[in-house]
Amino acid sequence: MQVFGKTQDNLWTLVAAPTIWGFHFLFSYFLAAYRCAPNDDIFNTIGGTRAAIAGVTAVCLLLILLIARRAWREWRADGGGYSNNQDTPEARERFLEFSTLLLAALSFAAVVFETLPVLVFWDCR
Amino acid sequence: MTRPGTIAAGLSGAVLTGCQGAQSAFDPAGVEAERVLTLFWIMLAGGTAIWIVVIGVSYYAARGKSGPYSDRSGIRLIVWGGCVFPAVVLAGLLWWGLTMMPELRRAADGPTIAVSAERFWWRVAYAVEGEPGVIRNLPRGGVPSANEIWIPLGKRTEILLSSPDVIHSFWVPPLAGKMDAIPGRVNRLVLEPTRPGVFNGACAEYCGTAHTYMGFRVVVVPEAEFEAYVASQALPAATTDGSGARLFVQNGCAACHTVRGTAADGDVGPDLTHVASRRTIAAGLLPTTVENFAAFIRSAEHIKPGVEMPAFGILPEEEITAIAQWLGKLE
Amino acid sequence: MTDTTDRTPTGPDQDDEAVRRAQEARLREVWAAPKGWRYWSAVNNTEVGIWYTALSFIFMLSAGVLALIVRAQLAVPENDLVTPDFYNQAFTLHGTAMMFLFAVPIFEAVAIILLPQLLGARDLPFPRLSAFGFWCFLIGGVFVMGSIFFGQAPSSGWFMYPPLTTEEEFTPGYGPDIWLLGLSFIEVASLAAAVELIVGTLKCRPPGMRLNLMPLYAWYVLVVAGMILFAFPPLIAGDILFELERLFDWPFFDPSRGGDPVLWQHLFWIFGHPEVYIVFLPAIALVAMIVPTFAQRPILGYSWIVLAAVGTGFISFGLWVHHMYTTGLPSISLGFFSAASEAVAIPTGVQIFVFIATLLTGRVIHSVPMLFVSGALANFVIGGLTGVMVALAPFDWQAHDTYFVVAHLHYVLIGGMLFPVAAGVYYYWPLVSGRKLSDRLGRIAFWMMFAGFNLAFLPMHYSGLAGMPRRVWTYPESLGVGTANMISSVGAFVFAAGILIIVWDVLRPRGNEPYAKRNPWNAGTLEWLVEMPGESWGVRSIPAVTSRYPIWEQPNFIDDVDNGRFYLSDAAEMKRETIITSVLDGKPLQCLRVPGPSFMPMIAAVFTGAMFIFATFHWWAATIVAMGLSTISIMVWLWRGTAVIPEKPEKDVGLGLKLPLYKSGPHSVGWWAMFIMMMGDATAFLGLVFGYYYFFTIHADFPPPSTVGPGVLWPTVAFGLFAVAWATAFGARLSNQAGRIGRARVLMAAGALVALAASAALLWGPYVTGLRPTAHVYPATVWVITIWTAAHGVAGSLMLGYCLARSLAGRMTPAHDIDIFNVALYWHFVGLTVIVTVGTLAYLPVLM
Repeated sequence: MQVFGKTQDNLWTLVAAPTIWGFHFLFSYFLAAYRCAPNDDIFNTIGGTRAAIAGVTAVCLLLILLIARRAWREWRADGGGYSNNQDTPEARERFLEFSTLLLAALSFAAVVFETLPVLVFWDCR
Repeated sequence: MTRPGTIAAGLSGAVLTGCQGAQSAFDPAGVEAERVLTLFWIMLAGGTAIWIVVIGVSYYAARGKSGPYSDRSGIRLIVWGGCVFPAVVLAGLLWWGLTMMPELRRAADGPTIAVSAERFWWRVAYAVEGEPGVIRNLPRGGVPSANEIWIPLGKRTEILLSSPDVIHSFWVPPLAGKMDAIPGRVNRLVLEPTRPGVFNGACAEYCGTAHTYMGFRVVVVPEAEFEAYVASQALPAATTDGSGARLFVQNGCAACHTVRGTAADGDVGPDLTHVASRRTIAAGLLPTTVENFAAFIRSAEHIKPGVEMPAFGILPEEEITAIAQWLGKLE
Repeated sequence: MTDTTDRTPTGPDQDDEAVRRAQEARLREVWAAPKGWRYWSAVNNTEVGIWYTALSFIFMLSAGVLALIVRAQLAVPENDLVTPDFYNQAFTLHGTAMMFLFAVPIFEAVAIILLPQLLGARDLPFPRLSAFGFWCFLIGGVFVMGSIFFGQAPSSGWFMYPPLTTEEEFTPGYGPDIWLLGLSFIEVASLAAAVELIVGTLKCRPPGMRLNLMPLYAWYVLVVAGMILFAFPPLIAGDILFELERLFDWPFFDPSRGGDPVLWQHLFWIFGHPEVYIVFLPAIALVAMIVPTFAQRPILGYSWIVLAAVGTGFISFGLWVHHMYTTGLPSISLGFFSAASEAVAIPTGVQIFVFIATLLTGRVIHSVPMLFVSGALANFVIGGLTGVMVALAPFDWQAHDTYFVVAHLHYVLIGGMLFPVAAGVYYYWPLVSGRKLSDRLGRIAFWMMFAGFNLAFLPMHYSGLAGMPRRVWTYPESLGVGTANMISSVGAFVFAAGILIIVWDVLRPRGNEPYAKRNPWNAGTLEWLVEMPGESWGVRSIPAVTSRYPIWEQPNFIDDVDNGRFYLSDAAEMKRETIITSVLDGKPLQCLRVPGPSFMPMIAAVFTGAMFIFATFHWWAATIVAMGLSTISIMVWLWRGTAVIPEKPEKDVGLGLKLPLYKSGPHSVGWWAMFIMMMGDATAFLGLVFGYYYFFTIHADFPPPSTVGPGVLWPTVAFGLFAVAWATAFGARLSNQAGRIGRARVLMAAGALVALAASAALLWGPYVTGLRPTAHVYPATVWVITIWTAAHGVAGSLMLGYCLARSLAGRMTPAHDIDIFNVALYWHFVGLTVIVTVGTLAYLPVLM
């Protein structure tokens, strides 16, 4: 995937952002589950786990922003606008780019949601 | 209790008159139940408002408007109504829900009580040495009892939960939410009652035919009374001789039940050492009376379909009566 | 094809009526359903789709009757209308049937009917696979539903939590086995449908239908079929573990031997939560077709719907633990799922607002379908709002497993699925029978259903929080929920009466009632090209599409289609044909010959079903025989019906376009089907591997120090042999392609033998180190993963043997190599499976 040049969108680029959400979600869940699994001292703090999740969150959000930025630029380059029902390759690109942008926005919000528990819970209780 | 909670309680009292049992989450008597009820009333109010607005807008869109709106205003509706508003509201609600949890799962400062959920009753042990967190098996020992759990007022009592057979769920709606009792795991639930009283509990996870009848009672008393209760439960049975006691052992009841101070030391069913001091028999099903003891011995299956205890209707009626009368004395 | 002028409908001979009549006669004959008893060998989407739909509705009505029994029992406190045992069977079967025999199959059924129509295709690419799916569904469904007449129905709730269900002492008899095996069989049918629908959506669109012009229904089908592909396999993995425990005492869920009952909950709900959206999204897809028609404008916010469908599809996989909030998991874990459960409400809200915005910007025509859509909206929003509530763990601790949740899930499923489906029935009925349903009866039915539904389920929110747990046979009067339950029961019967009115409307004799006019709702999408009554060919000619709503936006469209001025207006060779196009732009790539009527799918389904049913009753010899017969019948079916070499390389499909008749590799639909099926297969495998790592996580030492594993030697040998087998399969494909047929044949034969040796070596490892699967969960997990992989090796060996036979029989040549291409693809997946298997079982314990 090029970030700054013009690329052809397809179904894979469309689902890239939610896939990153999926990775972030599974990473956070599995790491916390693994950390808390022995669970003999549930009031011990788990700072390392939280920091790791925070780090991954930052990377994921950055990647989603890059996807959004690419989609945004190319959508603008293809004329922007919400009208994408024409029978042209440009309309198809515009549609995919705009949908990618929307999915990136949703994925961004969802990753932020996923990060809230890390801010609230500091142990395995 | 917070202000919305007060209003809510008043509301529920007015609207739901006569519908409040000791098993209702609308009539909270514990810290967790109170906070969750407040959360519920606020979500209900917010949800109702959102529903009215959404349905109102749709009605207007389908029938009320004088002519079609522009696409631009339609997109604006999607962006604000479908994205921004829900995202903000949900984020706020999520934050509230999340921040409630560490507080509710704070460490206990009261006694630790082991509760083993078994088909279809609750084995209780007071004064066990508990430790927080998941261990594989419930701690052994302690003062045994069944189907009635006393806890001190104003303390955070830790209930350690497990099961030797299938998954059950421990639920006392007026005090707190539920927690599953899972074989091979020990879960903890903290109860922090805010007023004394007797509350009903139920098994909330389907566990077999008699699931419906797997109830219990929680009795909230001042701390001194709690200590005295546990001490009295630790004593051997009040009456250990007489025909009832003898027949109890002879007829095989002792194979499953323990009555401390007699030869009965079965470990399959509830400990009956102080059964008459408990409010109910058959796991919260019947009031404790001599007649009910007799009826249950005669045909447990008839009263509590699916129960594991066999019927003893083959025994002569006078033997059943003798056993029932003896059990009635075991305070 | 980028030049749109190419598609101008032309064709001189199409103006000659005699030519057209002759074409129509040929098309009619080619696509006609078989007559007499052979009718049941039909595989065309119109027949199979209608059987599938009708059967789903029959199961729905049966499950509805069970619900009425449940409601009658609960109408008054301390009631004993039915025995507790029957009651438990009734609620279990009600939930099971509604989910597995109605909600999911009705999606597949409706999609099989509608998708080809919406895409202007003559049929889906694998009609026999659809037929196979239908027969599996029929056999499995009747088996599961029929069990209640023998008092043997499952009775532990539709999510079957072990150890209640896995231990003979708690659940004697066959109930859980019937549930498990019957439904595993139906899950296979669902996966078949998913493969069919994904390939159908991506490859069978009409020329010119780019991704941005696809009807919204097709987008939803694509997303939902993809979800099925990743959601059902974990349940199949769970089913395997479950049944191994129940039949052979392998202790996956038995804590006394290292197992954990919570593992089942994970595997079940990894399936079970996406399942809710698998049910909901296709119903919303119907709404997405209905709303634009009655707003008389294109949907406003097409991209937003795609966002919502895809976004929901993803996020719905991050919700499963919200069914497990009370299992005592750490708060931080619950928090992640709580967050995802709130986040998923955003795309759901977007869909609702897209519909409202479309209505707001259109001129709305009132009709029965729209009435049901508005009822759906009103009810579903309530379900969605209570969903937001129970997504918060602290509130769910109270509401979980109570009637509050019962109310919530029925608002979601009836509001989000049944009401839209009823709207769909009224909307699409003319497409099926050529006539509209009654407006008057529709309105009566709607209001009875709407009122009855709310009467039945609104009070349950109260009953639940007032202390009434789920799945109780009765309740004491002192609980104070008697009035609420009485209202619920009355409401349920009113609701049922409303449904009966629809049933009557559908079944009532029509006499000489005239057919509806063409495109009766004045809709814009391709499915309304259908004539009243419909012809078996679907569309007279396959149109070139240049817009989202061609009937509205492409001038003279219906007339051009009807007069055969587009593609494939003839069946000159008397073969069933449809057009395969490219994924992004709908460029025509191939003229696909689709197979016609055959009893083979039915026979294969009967043997496969027999295998599952015999296994339920532990008739092992019969099971093995049935397994053999089912394998043979599938082979015969494939041998005769797939990868048929055409009589000429290409044909003229009209408008001067020549398309090849045979394509292999990534250009063939078979390759796509194999790829998609193997994605599902790999997901099921990962479900099993998840089990291994799950036990690794929850146990302080796993593998237990006292046990030996499968060793390193034999797994390594197996690894080497599998590598050789993979290389021969791949080499055979390349040699065959290069025209070196002899070498290819030798490689195929060698590969088949090496694959068998590899499987044997893999099984030899745990056997020779004496791992007893009943002793502890560790050996059980090692064995199940080993057997899975070895079975794939054996299947791979069979496939190579099949290719060899095809080559020898002249059915596979260097130019016509679909078979070996697909088998080589299969072997790539086997290779990955082997790497994970050997790495996990043999090397990981050494490294740790």
